[in-house]
Amino acid sequence: MDENLLATAATNGVVVTWNLGKPSRNKQDQLFTEHKRTVNKVCFHPTEVYMLLSGSQDGYMKCFDLRKKDSVSTFSGQSESVRDVQFSIRDYFTFAATFENGNVQLWDIRRPDRYERMFTAHNGPVFCCDWHPEDRGWLATGGRDKMVKVWDMNTTRAKEIYCVQTIASVARVKWRPECKHHIATCSMMVDHNIYVWDVRRPFIPSAMFEEHKDVTTGIVWRHLHDPYFLLSGSKDSTLYQHIFKDASQPIDRANPEGLCYSLYGDLAFAAKESLISSDSNRKPYIGDRRHPIFFKRKLDPTEQFEYISSSSALSVFETDVESGSMDWFVHTAKQYALAGRPLAELCDHNAKVAKGLDRNQVAQTWTMLRIIYSSLGTVSSTNLNHSMGKGSTALPLMNSFNLKDIPAGLGSESRLDRSKGESRTENILMDSSSTLINNEDNEETEGSDVPADYLLGDVEADEDDLYMMDHENPHAEEQEYSLPQEAFPLRHEIVDNPSALDHLQDKADSPHVSGNEAETVSLTPVESFSLISISHSLYENRLPSDFFNPIVRDTLLFYAEQGDVQTAVSVLIVLGERIRKEIDEQTQEHWYTSYIDLLQRFQLWNISNEVIKLSTCRAINCLNQASTTLHVNCSNCKRPMSNRGWICDRCRQCASMCAVCHHVVKGLFVWCQGCSHGGHLQHIMKWLETSSHCPAGCGHLCEYT
Amino acid sequence: MATCSSDQSVKVWDKSENGDWHCTASWKTHSGSVWRVTWAHPEFGQVLASCSFDRTAAVWEEIVGESNDKLRGQSHWVKRTTLVDSRTSVTDVKFAPKHMGLMLATCSADGVVRIYEAPDVMNLSQWSLQHEISCKLSCSCISWNPSSSRAHSPMIAVGSDDNSPNILAKVQIYEYNENTRKYAKAEALMTVTDPVHDIAFAPNLGRSFHILAVATKDVRIFTLKPLRKELTSSGGLTKFEIHIVAQFDNHNSQVWRVSWNITGTVLASSGDDGCVRLWKANYMDNWKCTGILKGNGSPVNGSSQQGIFNASLGSANTSLQNSLNGSSASRKQS
Repeated sequence: MDENLLATAATNGVVVTWNLGKPSRNKQDQLFTEHKRTVNKVCFHPTEVYMLLSGSQDGYMKCFDLRKKDSVSTFSGQSESVRDVQFSIRDYFTFAATFENGNVQLWDIRRPDRYERMFTAHNGPVFCCDWHPEDRGWLATGGRDKMVKVWDMNTTRAKEIYCVQTIASVARVKWRPECKHHIATCSMMVDHNIYVWDVRRPFIPSAMFEEHKDVTTGIVWRHLHDPYFLLSGSKDSTLYQHIFKDASQPIDRANPEGLCYSLYGDLAFAAKESLISSDSNRKPYIGDRRHPIFFKRKLDPTEQFEYISSSSALSVFETDVESGSMDWFVHTAKQYALAGRPLAELCDHNAKVAKGLDRNQVAQTWTMLRIIYSSLGTVSSTNLNHSMGKGSTALPLMNSFNLKDIPAGLGSESRLDRSKGESRTENILMDSSSTLINNEDNEETEGSDVPADYLLGDVEADEDDLYMMDHENPHAEEQEYSLPQEAFPLRHEIVDNPSALDHLQDKADSPHVSGNEAETVSLTPVESFSLISISHSLYENRLPSDFFNPIVRDTLLFYAEQGDVQTAVSVLIVLGERIRKEIDEQTQEHWYTSYIDLLQRFQLWNISNEVIKLSTCRAINCLNQASTTLHVNCSNCKRPMSNRGWICDRCRQCASMCAVCHHVVKGLFVWCQGCSHGGHLQHIMKWLETSSHCPAGCGHLCEYT
Repeated sequence: MATCSSDQSVKVWDKSENGDWHCTASWKTHSGSVWRVTWAHPEFGQVLASCSFDRTAAVWEEIVGESNDKLRGQSHWVKRTTLVDSRTSVTDVKFAPKHMGLMLATCSADGVVRIYEAPDVMNLSQWSLQHEISCKLSCSCISWNPSSSRAHSPMIAVGSDDNSPNILAKVQIYEYNENTRKYAKAEALMTVTDPVHDIAFAPNLGRSFHILAVATKDVRIFTLKPLRKELTSSGGLTKFEIHIVAQFDNHNSQVWRVSWNITGTVLASSGDDGCVRLWKANYMDNWKCTGILKGNGSPVNGSSQQGIFNASLGSANTSLQNSLNGSSASRKQS
């Protein structure tokens, strides 16, 4: 090989060879002007110094012997421009040529009349090709379709064995020396980086050089047997020598995992298989319900490359029905009563709902609210017992009561099931009546809810104790702490707060104290309920319910900060005017929007609409008035109805009559799009259970679905 | 559920009535690895956004009703737009909270956060670049503050996976300023100096403060309490009182992903140990591990038994050939 010999190709079709060893200034050696158009590529034979091949835009390839003035032979591709020519490294006589129409041709240098074989490699121009330095059968091609393909030429038909998708059209491909599967590429547009790919991992380059500021025009490995140095030239007028250890590795930035919570609390987790099945005993956990497994693993058995065996697995963890899932939210939203009944009933109802869902704190909050804001006269004492049972469990004299009450109070099946599962607590339950509290309180700590202490006073003094017990032996002592707090700080506060009392007396004259609230004195204390007796004593002092507003406000704020905006909004709606002034408008609006958004995420459209209707914030109220227009046409004369009444202006008939009961339909109206008859939803549904014809007798076969 | 993979494709999975997951769409989205996929609020239709190594982000919409018999059961997703402004790999894409309209933010490896808006929500093919924020550090993840309160101005947190040995804060928080109509840096979490791979604001749900989870070499949870406006210089940026409320290195390795449940009460994190760990606060705001889930469904010995989850339900193995990420996002109910 001659180190001084250089060949260049020019856009005017001239192929020039230069001898750098010449002593004179003019190093030019030979000049061939046989091509008519741009010469895209020149290539020396790997072993024959004097043999030079050129490929041109005019569609011809020419072989030159540098010892002669003219070309030795001319090859006609019989097609469009030649983009690249490459001598095979192993086959002495063979070269490959790539074309703008996407074809690759293989030629025997001795037979200029006809190509040996041809195949279509790319969709669009094939800009480059490179023979594998070791494996004689492999040819890599790159095209405008952004792909790099590796072909096995040993078989009779060229077979695509690897395909790498890059992000821009491929201008150059170069196999990396000594690394069988590595190939370097650069692009001619948009992308200025040089990538080195492992062809077996076609999606992420194994190395990336980002130095160039403009398009990279050429890349070459510095030495035939040195895989660590790469030279590149660019339109930014720089020539870089890249050393491999400087390369950035995009794989480092690729996250191997995906994780996401679903709406209902299910959790999807995707990760590399190698990561999650490292201990290879993929035994299903006993007792779990398995999803069908879609298993389409593709692993190349010959892999040694560390990153390659990385198909990933996706698991979906479904939540335990009782705790993690969001079912409680949906049930609560559906069952809560927010308006239309006296306050006491609403509170009781909601307390029962919360209780039924094991949300004792919330239940207790509702009960408190009832006690605070309304008379107890209307409520049966058993009901009260039921909802108050918890708060009183720690009183020794109530033990007998508890024993009776628990089967009733915890009546729901799921709850019993669970306590059976927890054999430890069950034993305790059986043990003695005094430790029964443990079990009860266990329920309390499991919900994320606030202890009732928060409602009635500061818990700060005992915060640490509370927490520690929660951690270790959660239950036995906590009750001792929480109950005194329920009882005493509150009383303390009241007694020691004369200014508040003054304030209250002022208020007593205000018209705001409704009759309802005045009646609270008539509270009949239920025997030995500590909490109620407190309330009782309070009411004897004739405290108006306003007195509690700051506490209630704090309760709501607390629920909101805990992420339970449902309770905050529900209480807000139920209490209405009583509490609204205490909380600033912006916060209320924030709660409403959050809750409504949440309801809509759970597709609880009716409830979200009810909340919107009941809200007092102007910004919320107008939510369901936006862009809703209903155009009605008369069912008789098909004229648009005016919005005055139910009588059509033109035909003087009632337009929206129920075909079944012949009354005007106000509210939900369902009608057939075919015959325009319809009526009350209930009536029509009932009718169509027995008949398939239109109830109006028009003979139309209506389909209400 | 939508998943994306380094194999350049996105798949959409639907859960049938009986609880089975079916892949209803799978298509090639980019000419590079897809890093993230995310759902828009269902109010805007069935809309996905994806971002990729190929320097683009794309918005996709599901077309219903025009299916012919051959493709029955396969939903049809069409590309509505390609966002090509980035000069480097786009590492994250997130839709803004619904009340801000149809907006999305992307961040890229060269440290630029871009915020796009579709002025007409019915026309998903028109997105205009509203803001470009230069973070000076290679960005890896981004999260919108979901609060819908008028008291909280729009805010995004950006995490960086820059691993050069400098001590710059890897989590920066940008807030929209009504007066200048620009995003400006409000805070930087100086204590986070290791590469950050994921970041997530908890759903706000009426809280007055914000909770931010950060996945770095450990799991960290921060609270950001806005100080009252009066105290800050008028019209300026909100100042925050930032507390780190939890920090867990139980994964003993790189933490890759964090995800909140819908109420922002449970945080799930996943790390190189192949486990998902669940974190929950008690009412005293003390965060504790409430469950460990192993990716292969086997129970973890010694995990606390008050776990929220039944250990595992099946694994659905997708053929993400050579994939290295399977970022998933839940399809919201519409």
